[in-house]
Amino acid sequence: MRVHVDPDRCQGHTLCAMIAPDLFQLDEIDGHSTVVIDGDLPADLEAKAAEAVRSCPEQAISVIAEEPRA
Amino acid sequence: MIDDAERKKNRYDFDRHTPEYREHFGEITAEMLGKCPVAWSETYGGHWVAAGHDEVFALARSSEYLSNDHDVNNERKGYKGITIPTPESEFQGGFLEMDPPEQRHYRQALNPYLSPAAVARWTPVVDELVRACLNERIETGAIDFVDDLANVVPAVLTLAMLGVPLKNWSLYCEAVHASVYTRHDSPEIAKVRQDQMTMFRDMFGQMTEIKASPRPGMIDALVRAQINGKTPPDLELLGVIALVIGGGFDTTTALTAHSLEWLSEHPAERARLSAERGTLLDSATEEFLRFYTPAPGDGRTIAADCVIAGTEFKEGERLWLSWAMSNRDPSVFPNPNEIDLARTGNRHHSFGLGIHRCIGSNVARMVFKRMLTEVLDRMPDFACDPAGAVHYETIGVIQGMQHLPASFTPGPRIGDGLDETIARLQVICDEQRLAEPVTVRKDSARISG
Repeated sequence: MRVHVDPDRCQGHTLCAMIAPDLFQLDEIDGHSTVVIDGDLPADLEAKAAEAVRSCPEQAISVIAEEPRA
Repeated sequence: MIDDAERKKNRYDFDRHTPEYREHFGEITAEMLGKCPVAWSETYGGHWVAAGHDEVFALARSSEYLSNDHDVNNERKGYKGITIPTPESEFQGGFLEMDPPEQRHYRQALNPYLSPAAVARWTPVVDELVRACLNERIETGAIDFVDDLANVVPAVLTLAMLGVPLKNWSLYCEAVHASVYTRHDSPEIAKVRQDQMTMFRDMFGQMTEIKASPRPGMIDALVRAQINGKTPPDLELLGVIALVIGGGFDTTTALTAHSLEWLSEHPAERARLSAERGTLLDSATEEFLRFYTPAPGDGRTIAADCVIAGTEFKEGERLWLSWAMSNRDPSVFPNPNEIDLARTGNRHHSFGLGIHRCIGSNVARMVFKRMLTEVLDRMPDFACDPAGAVHYETIGVIQGMQHLPASFTPGPRIGDGLDETIARLQVICDEQRLAEPVTVRKDSARISG
């Protein structure tokens, strides 16, 4: 699974980084969020990722199942 | 095409400026959420009211169809900005009453002063201010949490970040608070207007000084900003500074006062929050924000005919987005009328949504958390006096408190008092150039001795 922040929807509310600081980092200048972990979401962060999805006021975060390999 | 009667078939007689609205907020909110999450109200010349969480979410994020513009000189479409009804003295309320691209340019100028990284640098300054405020009362066993703490810290910090001398805080503080809670028909309004004039004169003086000789702070960024390729006129800049001050002062005060009042009424929850602050402070802060929604909503003007969230809107119609009511929607918040310090999935609307998200949200959270934890540490048994607590009579503009007296077991002073601390912090601000943007200065403030 991969976590994705839609940069067009994120407005820098910062709740994701409060919930999962190991998963999201906030831009120094405008506080907008990006995902730190490039690749598969570690199992121990799944619950926090799900909570970040639920808590985002702009609904900018999604957890996407990886495409099965051909 | 459907006719107006059909478009406006969901009706509600909505007047958020009456004391009855504050008194019956829970019932009115439940009724609107249940029957008409978007309703037409004939009050104040007629306007829409959005209360439902999904509806407010969809509307607030549709910036292509909604305008915040307050066109005071009637140069564009004559839209009336974010206040319903339109205030008697028309004054553009900074970039909150602008649309892109100007709105975006202002935010880009101020973001490096207000981002999470920028705000974190000020934490040691806030801690000094809170310590000093509590020192003034700690030996007496009595405090007014509004007058002695929650009014002071946000005001001094906001001025520091703007680049205004810290000692001027009291000149700004009462003028801002009183202008929110004083009724326009009360005899006190003349004095309030006079204090506001004094504040604006000082603000204008600061701006003129900073134009002539640069010093770090948000005012410096504003006077040198190119907004859509132009240097904005002074009156527009004053509106922006007033927005930062208005946003920075009364809202955090309101949140802090209400939260402390609730914690006094729920001592077991207070003890739990204090003991488990490492895990609970963030969620508790979001929950207090949701429940007390200091800024209860924003007005908009429909900029083009559209259908959003199932309602057909016409260009030029006015709309009230109620953050306060959408924050109580049971479809998103189970048991919405209860405070749950560990609430999860708390996607509240208290800082607004979309491109106008409160630019000071990071300041509000940091200052609130530092004030709250310091009170929990130094006055752990505080008991607010319900007879002395004064809530704003109406909650149409800010859901605030005027006074919140409390008693507690006296304790020892730690370090110096407020005036000495403010004088010392001024030197630190100047020497360390704390009010520079985070792009220029990365380090946190250093407080020595």
